[in-house]
Amino acid sequence: MYDLLIEPWSWGAWMWRAMLASVLAAIPLAVLGVFLYLRRMSLIADALSHVALLGIVVAFLVTGSMEGPVMLAGAAAVGLVAAISIEALARRPNVRSDAAIGIVFTVLFAAGIILISTSVHDAHIDTQCVLFGNPLAISNRALWMLGGVAPAVVLGVIIFYRWLSVSSFDPILAASIGIPVTLVHYGLMTAVSLTTVASFESVGSILAIALMIVPAATAHLLANRLSTMLMVAVAHAVLSAVLGVYVSIWINASTAGAIVVVGGALYALAFLFAPHGVLGRMIRRRAHRAQTRPESSTPPQQIG
Amino acid sequence: MQGFFTSETFARAVEFFSFQYSFTVYALLASILVGAVCAVVGAFLVLRGMSLLGDAVGHATLPGVCAAFVIVGAKEMGALMIGALVSAFIAALLVGAISDKPRTRPDAAIGIILSVFFGIGILMLSYIQNSPTAAQAGLDSFLFGNAAAVSREQLYLLAGVSVVLISGVAIFFRYLAVATFDPVFARSIGIPTRVVHYGLLGALSLAVVVSVQAVGVVLVAAMLIIPPSSALFLTKRLPGVLLIGALLGVLSGALGAFASYLWEGVATGPAMVLCAGFFFGVALLFGPRGMFKDRGGRRVRLAD
Repeated sequence: MYDLLIEPWSWGAWMWRAMLASVLAAIPLAVLGVFLYLRRMSLIADALSHVALLGIVVAFLVTGSMEGPVMLAGAAAVGLVAAISIEALARRPNVRSDAAIGIVFTVLFAAGIILISTSVHDAHIDTQCVLFGNPLAISNRALWMLGGVAPAVVLGVIIFYRWLSVSSFDPILAASIGIPVTLVHYGLMTAVSLTTVASFESVGSILAIALMIVPAATAHLLANRLSTMLMVAVAHAVLSAVLGVYVSIWINASTAGAIVVVGGALYALAFLFAPHGVLGRMIRRRAHRAQTRPESSTPPQQIG
Repeated sequence: MQGFFTSETFARAVEFFSFQYSFTVYALLASILVGAVCAVVGAFLVLRGMSLLGDAVGHATLPGVCAAFVIVGAKEMGALMIGALVSAFIAALLVGAISDKPRTRPDAAIGIILSVFFGIGILMLSYIQNSPTAAQAGLDSFLFGNAAAVSREQLYLLAGVSVVLISGVAIFFRYLAVATFDPVFARSIGIPTRVVHYGLLGALSLAVVVSVQAVGVVLVAAMLIIPPSSALFLTKRLPGVLLIGALLGVLSGALGAFASYLWEGVATGPAMVLCAGFFFGVALLFGPRGMFKDRGGRRVRLAD
């Protein structure tokens, strides 16, 4: 037990850094994911985290720099362009919203991949790293980015909690009481883009989506109130991150992959055993049937 | 890539069209078949509002490929394909199973399955890559695809599956059309809509599995969604959507394979997707049901 749990911490600073990076990425992703989930926009998370790759590359091609703020700005800009074009496409009568998501993000992602492999050899953008992340080898730059973005996102959500919650549950009411619904929407989109980029080196673009969707979905199985849902989602994300780092060390495999697999296993547990989960409903249905059976065997009484 | 179009590029173009290397012919044929079969199956996904299911199924092939590799212990193509098919079909079924339950969202279900299956795949892939058996070389070409790596046997398999799927769509065209546009009516006249649904999931899994070698798991969704979506700007009738979609898929496939041969480092998958995206843009702007026609129509109405 000691060997498995405590010893890795004595192997060097990288263990601390890996844990810090994973947890710092998991918390804001889970928080934003809850709002995306409630707005039925989980797959926008998928789109934006793919598109952020193009944002980084474009920012590098324009400025020639790979500084944190430049990367964040590029990703936010391209993410906004993607969000706006998805909405514009979905408004057309012959394009469904899910097809619009699929079209925009695959094209922009393909453009990002091609640019990386052809024009930006000298930028040290490692495709494997950006896509799948590696918290065990996280750079100082990425840690600083996470350290800035994670508190900023959490603080932003706390400050704008009312606006976010009302506009997520009832956008029409929100608009009627003067909440800038469009602004909240694009603010959320920008926050998603920023957090994805900041978490690239730890979880990678493709698996960032897992940390946005799976904690929120788990929390919805377990919680009835938004505040509890947020807390459960964060707890799920942190637990997946910590256990995931351990698992990846134990079996010597991708950390991001391990984090997602642990998160998925926790979701499966909630899906089966939550009060509203599959087993819970099965038991309740059986109990209900047992209760009603004697009554149904007696002949129906005549009324009047 | 120094010059975008140098004399070397030209020489490679000539080399490509002289067809002196069998692998260029294979790559071209494979890309064409992928374009056709994905567009035909994808048309029904797009029309049923299930576009992003293709994305989930595409990502879900990765754990199957890796599991088959671990079990067989070699890069045996047949085994990898079967593994991919099994995990793709399980993923498609699981998305349906999760979406049915209360307190879940269909879009989140797609996101969960996509990311968790992909996470499992990444975990296994990294585990295989870190293990001493070095026979895994090229397993990661599944991520973005490499049409030039398609062998003669794979081409035969791809051709066989394409013929089966396309003729299947032709034979069951009435069933598919009615079940897609009016499921209630379809059930009332005795069409087994459930069978049609699961048949479509099976067809989707098959199409994705034979395509991933050429386009890669990450972008196969684009070849399912984009060509039929473009066709929807050109025609209103289902046979037209199927035919034009297949034609656009074939064109994108061929151009993508050509481009990835011309420029070193350009993977086939992203190149095909960018071509498909280009055609989509043209259809969106200039198609009979596209944006300019739209404006024209409105102006005529105003003039009346």
